[in-house]
Amino acid sequence: MSVAQSQLPREKELDKVILKFQDKPGLLLGILEEIQNLNPQKYLPIEVLEYVSQKTDIPLSRIYSVVTFYAFFNLKPQGKHSIIICRGTACHTRRSKNLLEYLKTMLNLQEDESQEGEKLFLTTADNKFTLRTVACFGQCALAPVVEIDGKIYSHMTENKLKEIVKRVAAGRKL
Amino acid sequence: MADKKVNIKIDGKDYQVEQGLSILKACQAAGIIIPTICYLEGISEEAACSICVVEVKNAKTLMRSCVTKVTEGMEIMTNTERVRKARKMNLELLLAGHPKDCFVCDRNQTCELRRIAYEMGIREVRFPKTVKLEMEIDSSSPSILRDPNKCILCRRCISVCEKVQSVSAIDTAKRGKLSKVTTFMDRGLGNVVCVNCGQCLLVCPTGALVENNEIAGVWKALADPKKFVVVETAPAVRASIGEEFGMAPGNLVTGKMAASLRRLGFDRVFDTQFSADLTIMEEGHELIDRIKNKGVLPLITSCSPGWIKFAEHFYPKALAHVSSCKSPQQMFGAVAKTYYAQKFNLDPRNVTVVSIMPCVAKKFEAKRPEMDSAFEFWKDKMSLKESEHFPDVDFVLTTREAARMIKEAGIDFVNLSDENFDEPLGISTGAAVIFGATGGVMEAALRTAYEVLTGKTLEKIDFEAVRGLQGIKTAEVDIDGMKVKVAVANSLSNARVLLEEVQAGKSPYAFIEIMTCPGGCIGGGGQPIPTDTAVRQKRMEAIYREDKNKPLRKSHQNPAVAELYKEFLGSPLGEKSHHLLHTHYHERAMV
Repeated sequence: MSVAQSQLPREKELDKVILKFQDKPGLLLGILEEIQNLNPQKYLPIEVLEYVSQKTDIPLSRIYSVVTFYAFFNLKPQGKHSIIICRGTACHTRRSKNLLEYLKTMLNLQEDESQEGEKLFLTTADNKFTLRTVACFGQCALAPVVEIDGKIYSHMTENKLKEIVKRVAAGRKL
Repeated sequence: MADKKVNIKIDGKDYQVEQGLSILKACQAAGIIIPTICYLEGISEEAACSICVVEVKNAKTLMRSCVTKVTEGMEIMTNTERVRKARKMNLELLLAGHPKDCFVCDRNQTCELRRIAYEMGIREVRFPKTVKLEMEIDSSSPSILRDPNKCILCRRCISVCEKVQSVSAIDTAKRGKLSKVTTFMDRGLGNVVCVNCGQCLLVCPTGALVENNEIAGVWKALADPKKFVVVETAPAVRASIGEEFGMAPGNLVTGKMAASLRRLGFDRVFDTQFSADLTIMEEGHELIDRIKNKGVLPLITSCSPGWIKFAEHFYPKALAHVSSCKSPQQMFGAVAKTYYAQKFNLDPRNVTVVSIMPCVAKKFEAKRPEMDSAFEFWKDKMSLKESEHFPDVDFVLTTREAARMIKEAGIDFVNLSDENFDEPLGISTGAAVIFGATGGVMEAALRTAYEVLTGKTLEKIDFEAVRGLQGIKTAEVDIDGMKVKVAVANSLSNARVLLEEVQAGKSPYAFIEIMTCPGGCIGGGGQPIPTDTAVRQKRMEAIYREDKNKPLRKSHQNPAVAELYKEFLGSPLGEKSHHLLHTHYHERAMV
């Protein structure tokens, strides 16, 4: 955790972002997006949210509302690499569920039963991968699609997925 | 903008109405009832529930009447097959996810959802519950219990918390079927900036928000022969509790209330108004002292525990302005377990103090750890152990809870003959009654401060300028040539206006009264449901009627209070007062 702590955006950086969006409509979304991107672990720690609330006078309840509404925001640290499986209708009929199960086995991830109904969010023990799902990428013609580190891969199969994940894990370029 | 009129048709009849009016209001003015759930006039227009839909000619879809404005030539139909079916379907979908255990619900008799389901002819549950998730009940607050499973996401609580109180302790979180109303990080109402005012609970259409029920503890104390159980009733309760028994708002039921409490089995029926008079003695002298000795001004009243917690979170720099006087509820507890216990040879450990309040924040106040002055008073004298620790006030019941106990005991409240409070802690003046309405503490303090400062008799004791339901009232009072500016605010968004001035060092006032709830205690979070502006007005009139009828109307004329000072306390702001009747505040984080 000490590494994570030292990686938190510093107050100076936060102030810069907050100042940039001051008096602009919808400032909260802009501030949160930029601040999350400043964090190497791509998430919004509670202390950072409290700081934003204090500086902007936006109530914490409102900030929590926005952060939990948009799938983009994370309240927990993300793995170094992100894999997002589309679970929309088109991808579902093209068996995206199999891809999800395959990845869970491959990366040794287990679902927490107490989180039933919550959005899927699993990070490997070595913090290398975070596996998530999304309702739709809007790329239905290319189903099933998977997003890895911001890039969308189409017509995904288990074999293709295995190759890509291996290459990403080894740090090779895609 | 000139008030242009537009011609519209509602259900085939022609009407001329103001431009910019919502369809809902136009229909209401035409005497047509449109069912609503999420709508709350002037506070909440969330368009969340879709119950208020109407048909508009040539419109593709049904329109939500609460947020759709009338336009020239609009033809509105409120009672077509399509409208009835759509309203019913929308309501059935809301009901699908709602628990069906109405007979064990606190809001059994006052649930809007239940009433609307009845009125709209829902006689079967067609849709099963889709969300299987059982959400955790938030019991973190000593004042408010929140059951998210009963919530229908109408957002009225969120609106009132944000717009009326400017606290914003709650908002929606998550999306879709996981949506819920909650606090930051789901910390719970007891762990955030919630000030426990309970306005959310007054506007909740279901039983999702209720007071933290303390009835069981009171029954237990009443059944315990060792306990000497005394009850104190806040001023605003006598102007409202009749409503719980079907009486019209504005009925003053002081005598019936005292009689019913005696029948419940309380050993003494006392009055918080006694300690309201005591509060004026202390606070009035505090004001005089600060004016004479150039102390921190303006002085701000401290009777309203929601406001106190609000100040501790949001205006810590203004805390030096807040009177150090405890609220009347707490002064009563401290006096009952010291002076009264001593005078009548009671073991303070066996004295149980129950208060009946129009308020849910009072539950929090009674549990503040520093509210144990009686224990501190007796600790050395009686060699009490820490394990014998007791609070000054043991149980706090809302007006609603007290009414429920009276019903449970089978007492015919409406037909009871009037009875008096017991002496001496049941004696009070008219100045104490008006504590129940916004401006009342100010007026009561002025009545006493004037006479103490000038040594003259105050001829005109009605300070009309500080009465009424307006959010902020100001006045300039002439005390024998000395001009004193005063201000009164009710609801915390109004209080903010005065507090910004105080914090900036620019407040022109010497004395400020702040009440947390709209209208003051008569509109408190513990009052009968419904509590709306019209009901508040009626209760307020009852309060001033009681004041007018009292033989004594100035706190310093209260003979029982005078006796208390003579026999026990010494003088206002004296050493005993300091320990028993005054307190301190501390800054709280903005969480």
